[in-house]
Amino acid sequence: MLYRRIYQFFIIYFLGVMTLFMVKYVLDLSDYVIPGPMEIWHTGESVFIRYFFNVIDTLSVAVLGHILSIFLATIIGIIGRLTLWIGSFIRVAAYNIQSYPIVAVAPIIFILLGDGLSSRLLITAMICYFPLLLSFIGILSEPVTEIEHFYEATLRMNWRLQVKIRAFENINKITTVIVGSGTLAMVGTIVSEFIAANAGIGHSIRMALYQSDLAKILVALFLIGICTSLYLVCLEGLGRMIQRRLQNT
Amino acid sequence: MIRRLQIARVLKIALLLILVLSACSEKKQPLEEVNYRLKWLFNISVVGDLWAVAQGNFERNGLKVTVKPGGPEKDAIKELEIGHAQFGVASADQVIRAVSKGSPIVVLAQLFQINPLHWIYRPDRTVLRTPQDLKGKTIGITYGGNDETIMRALLAKFNIKEEDVNLFSVRYDYTPFYKGEVDLWPLYRNAQAPIIGEKLRQAGEKFDLLSPSKLGIRFVANSVITTKKTLEDRPDTVRRFMQALLQGWTEALDPENKEMAIKIVLKYNQETPEKIVRKQLPATRILMLPNAKFEFGKIDVTAWKQTEQIMLTQNLIDNPVHIESRLMPAVE
Amino acid sequence: MLLEFKDISYKYPDSINDVFKNLTCRISTPGFHALFGPSGVGKTTLAKMMIGEVKGYGGEILTSEIHRILYTYNLERLPGWSSVREHLQATTPESGKDKIDELVTAFGLEACMQSRFAQLSLGQQNRTNLARYLLQNFDLLIMDESLANVDEVTKEKIILTMKNIFPDRCFFYISHSVVEVAKFCRQILVLRGHHRNPQTISLQGRDHTDGKALIKKDLEQTMLEIVNAV
Repeated sequence: MLYRRIYQFFIIYFLGVMTLFMVKYVLDLSDYVIPGPMEIWHTGESVFIRYFFNVIDTLSVAVLGHILSIFLATIIGIIGRLTLWIGSFIRVAAYNIQSYPIVAVAPIIFILLGDGLSSRLLITAMICYFPLLLSFIGILSEPVTEIEHFYEATLRMNWRLQVKIRAFENINKITTVIVGSGTLAMVGTIVSEFIAANAGIGHSIRMALYQSDLAKILVALFLIGICTSLYLVCLEGLGRMIQRRLQNT
Repeated sequence: MIRRLQIARVLKIALLLILVLSACSEKKQPLEEVNYRLKWLFNISVVGDLWAVAQGNFERNGLKVTVKPGGPEKDAIKELEIGHAQFGVASADQVIRAVSKGSPIVVLAQLFQINPLHWIYRPDRTVLRTPQDLKGKTIGITYGGNDETIMRALLAKFNIKEEDVNLFSVRYDYTPFYKGEVDLWPLYRNAQAPIIGEKLRQAGEKFDLLSPSKLGIRFVANSVITTKKTLEDRPDTVRRFMQALLQGWTEALDPENKEMAIKIVLKYNQETPEKIVRKQLPATRILMLPNAKFEFGKIDVTAWKQTEQIMLTQNLIDNPVHIESRLMPAVE
Repeated sequence: MLLEFKDISYKYPDSINDVFKNLTCRISTPGFHALFGPSGVGKTTLAKMMIGEVKGYGGEILTSEIHRILYTYNLERLPGWSSVREHLQATTPESGKDKIDELVTAFGLEACMQSRFAQLSLGQQNRTNLARYLLQNFDLLIMDESLANVDEVTKEKIILTMKNIFPDRCFFYISHSVVEVAKFCRQILVLRGHHRNPQTISLQGRDHTDGKALIKKDLEQTMLEIVNAV
């Protein structure tokens, strides 16, 4: 699975780079506009280690932010299923806040929290939180009548059991949305670093943009793609493990 | 006989009409369309460009120029190479970096004679009598930006090591400076100093500006560029464009045209209050026309060479590019 | 009287047609009774009225000596995280624990006990579901197609076992099978369309139990009565 994901990424990445080279040679553009293969290679040699650690830094914030958002979405999702009114209020609030462009909200967060870990974490959590929340609210509000009926009829139902039933029955959906939001977590962290942080690969990309250095950006994209693929594979593996354990318990 | 005379008269009138009509149609020749990509958004630093459009300078020279605002994600050099624009504005470091990578860019005119990048500080809190007083100070820079390059050049010139100062990564908001966490904050003297200065003044605080230029760091800023191909294939277009543009700038910076210049800037930039634009205009004039007799747009070859040297020293380019070979002044 | 439906009238929301119009009938004794009728006539709706899931109807449903009514249907499932055995152990009250083995054997579920619900066949699933309901405390159990996917032999065994183990309880068996209903039920409430008067007809079933002979002619007669009544 890991092997397949990585080589699929390589195919996409190199197809993209080849397309750039085609444009470069057809339009006879200089290395300033689209760098040549040797320049990309030499740039890669000079920045690879530094960018690698930057990406690890970004990934660690992304993972933490992702965990935070899963935790928050679970709690709010559980609260949201309590009554129809609370559930619909939370849904409406989530839709509205989600519609705010993060590039407008992120600066406010940086002003309030500074450019340390907390602001990056918060922005990451915000970006991947809302799709998680909306999915979780949907899952946890939707009764699984065929299973819940027995417990309701025999007066055994409580909120913990209800959440357990609904989560278990929708474990595939839950793992899918968690894996999907993993990509968002990475994107969110990079965006927050790009806007105003002074660490991480997003910060490095911003510096490269100031210098119009596309070679550095391509190296950064390569490392981001590899790390994101690894993260998603881990999430998928974790999801499968959890499903197997739940089914075998 | 009479008939022949009548025919002759009709022919003369017809000929006259044809001549008049062709003269009129000459005036209605279609304007040559060109795109002109600026470096940044419409603000005081492009007053001359906007003047040339608004006051018809380009039109009078047979050009229909679309002036496009720049921005952080837009690069005039790339647009020139791809062909989306025929003229652009870029800073010297952008030009030198591009030339080092084989870009066929040439410089036609230099807009700023003094780089507008300065550092604002509070003289009551931060004493700066000599450059050595920078030691121990917290200095804001944009990592990767040309203010980083300029500051490093300044520190190197006065043998101040990086560990002797505290370099602080700058964001778009000035909160760390307002809160006193940063002693010196980079800004554009003509565009931002009036705004920030006004805020400090309202807070009862004094401010001053550190000028790298005055300390001998001549790092060229915005300049008008085109490609070699455009210059070679369309020299008349380049000539007419530069004629119109330089004329536009000269008129815009003329103190007698102050009110019209402000009005034009406000038309294109509705975000900046008029009170601030009034302060920005004279600040811009000083940086572009150091003295009354100065001819706008002159290229300072020495400053360009110094800029290249600074970039070489800081390994921003690998090899010399001999930038002087790309300077094609429209103003002698 | 154990259970009486008195002038029940009901219309589905947003519907112009009545489901029930002045429906009146009663069940007087415990035992295995049937609610029979064509599809869509309102059997499940009537059952849900009994457990209070459907409200807003006219008339009354009166009960005496019936304090707890359970309703089960054939689409129910057990949660997937435990085996059948674990689930039965966890959900059976103390009073029912001694009946687990007897029911498991009678329902032919010995081989299923270690399995998860999803691993069972449809018939096994129906039987498992029914078994867990039978282990609860109830006065009346409404079984809505609960043995739909069970073979005839096992079905007979299950019903006879239920009658044996729970002689004092009341069961409402909702089924489309004329034979089953005629053979096993004591009282058969035949539900007819709202335009029919009366809307229900109460018939006597054969109420077949273990040790009681079943006369074929009587069974056929009952079946004919049911068919004519619909």
